[in-house]
Amino acid sequence: MYIGTSKLTHTYWPGTPFAADALKNISFSVGQGTFTLLIGPSGSGKTTLIQHLNGLLKPSAGEVYFDGKKIGPDKAALLALRRRVGLVFQMPEDQFFSETVFDEIAYAPRNLGLDEKKVEERVNRAVAQVGLERSRLLDRHPFQLSAGQKRRVAIASVLSLEPEVLILDEPAAGLDPEGKGNLLNLLSSLNRAGKITIMVSTHHLDEIAALADNLVVLNEGGLVMSGKTKEILARGAELKELGLALPQVTGIMHELAARGLPVSTDIYSLSAACDEILQAKRADQR
Amino acid sequence: MKTLIEITDLTYKYRSGGGNAVTALNGVTMQVYRGEILAITGQNGSGKSTLARHFNALLTPGSGEVIVDGLSVNDKKNTAAIRRIVGMVFQNPDNQLVSSVVEEDVAFGPENLGLPQAEIVKRVDWALKSLDLEAYRYRSPNSLSEGQKQLVAIAGVLAMKPKCIVLDEPTAHLDPKGKREVLENVQRLNRDEGITTVLLTHSMNEVVHCDRMIIMDQGLIKLTGAPRELFAQAEQIKALGLDLPAAAQLAYGLKLKGLTLPGNILTIEELVASLCQLP
Ligand SMILES: Nc1ncnc2c1ncn2[C@@H]1O[C@H](COP(=O)(O)OP(=O)(O)OP(=O)(O)O)[C@@H](O)[C@H]1O
Ligand SMILES: Nc1ncnc2c1ncn2[C@@H]1O[C@H](COP(=O)(O)OP(=O)(O)OP(=O)(O)O)[C@@H](O)[C@H]1O
Ligand SMILES: [Mg+2]
Ligand SMILES: [Mg+2]
Repeated sequence: MYIGTSKLTHTYWPGTPFAADALKNISFSVGQGTFTLLIGPSGSGKTTLIQHLNGLLKPSAGEVYFDGKKIGPDKAALLALRRRVGLVFQMPEDQFFSETVFDEIAYAPRNLGLDEKKVEERVNRAVAQVGLERSRLLDRHPFQLSAGQKRRVAIASVLSLEPEVLILDEPAAGLDPEGKGNLLNLLSSLNRAGKITIMVSTHHLDEIAALADNLVVLNEGGLVMSGKTKEILARGAELKELGLALPQVTGIMHELAARGLPVSTDIYSLSAACDEILQAKRADQR
Repeated sequence: MKTLIEITDLTYKYRSGGGNAVTALNGVTMQVYRGEILAITGQNGSGKSTLARHFNALLTPGSGEVIVDGLSVNDKKNTAAIRRIVGMVFQNPDNQLVSSVVEEDVAFGPENLGLPQAEIVKRVDWALKSLDLEAYRYRSPNSLSEGQKQLVAIAGVLAMKPKCIVLDEPTAHLDPKGKREVLENVQRLNRDEGITTVLLTHSMNEVVHCDRMIIMDQGLIKLTGAPRELFAQAEQIKALGLDLPAAAQLAYGLKLKGLTLPGNILTIEELVASLCQLP
């Protein structure tokens, strides 16, 4: 098993009147080099699960695996794990601890023992990858930024680690449309060309569903669906029942199909929708 | 008087690390009209949150003027009154949640308004119910998921029923159902109680449902108008780093590839209708 869990249960505040199972008996795995989306309503357990994959929480029961080995409490092993698995937190503020943006992004490469010239190269690359190259904010405190700039810095500070697995918890929240589009292109190219394993938790399936191999769906701490993106998104009614939504273009394709336009409904991006509609229109005219 | 918030030539600079000042607002003039739902959008760092923080006197102008319901933000004596008029939901709920129990947190705003206890209880019940939060009533806000926290922060401001509600990206961490509930409640309060609403958002699909929109860019207001009017200028919108709503964008893409479609498609209904009418 490359990354996954076996019968993982997580209880917050065990043994108190507040005890609550945030994860119940979760077993799943993702293969190396895959792109997985973790979805589920607010409070379904996405963040809790993601924190286990980085060894930030201790299972109440069950196991968590990375690269065939069980993740345990051993400090050195955890450190090694976190060098290979990079995690972008849901709230950027929870991740920051340096005095300047530069130091924040430089932390990971410095920690790897790279010399300062290499460190600077990595910082510059990461800053460009998140579209901050022209914003001259490297000397600022990470808190002296707009919300979307904080998000970008948080992502950059994990990219600079160049991990083999990238886990991002709701990474597009707060990004402007251009920033979101660039992030998706970046994740796609890291995954396709760079063979980086990617896992993203999100409430917004628009566009990103087109990049994902697999979908894992949580509800109230339980794993309720998991499989190929196309298979899961074909179960639109069940997703709706959970308070979730299909990508908007998929909704449009369903409506068009219902009105008799011969289009396929497993379409998750605007560009695919565009091609599909044009083809259907041309076929119509013939 | 038609205008609730009047802003004239507002500038604001942050002092930051490295000793440099950051100009966040560079001469903004704008109005928020009574009873409207106004969307403010623009790229990351364009100045939206900085502008909104002037609406309820969290920031005072570097230069220029901000008048809220006849009261100047520059005059410190007005601060308490202004905060009763304008309720604000912050971009990060952690900056807002003050109590260790959800229901106390939601009651905090109404209590500050000096409402009678019975009315406070009624408002808290209503706000928790409207956003489907009753199950979390006795929980501690910091033991909630991010989406749950965001809803609690919104409930606290809704419960105040101020003249004006300012929401800074209120739906960023909400699931589709939570988003729908927030937007529906905001629209209902606007319609039934005339509450003026300012929505800061990156979601063009949310902007579509507002009466008016403002696009900011580098501390300035670049475009103002009805969403339908502005989204008709696709090239300009894209040049400002923004997008069209999904249906409009699809229509735009189809037209670029040679399909003939009517000029102003904005919603999914309009797109589907025109595609299914075409020969
Ligand atoms: N520190 C905590 N103490 C107690 N309960 C918690 C804590 N953190 C989360 N929970 C609870 O555990 C459950 C799962 O929370 P989690 O943050 O994993 O959800 P999520 O799927 O990430 O939600 P969101 O989409 O809102 O971010 C929720 O019911 C939440 O209230
Ligand atoms: N505390 C601060 N100290 C210094 N500069 C700041 C601070 N907060 C914001 N800024 C800067 O002021 C400008 C405007 O920021 P603001 O937060 O108003 O933008 P925004 O439009 O709300 O962006 P976002 O979409 O990312 O939320 C940005 O250049 C930002 O870097
Ligand atoms: Mg979460
Ligand atoms: Mg902001």
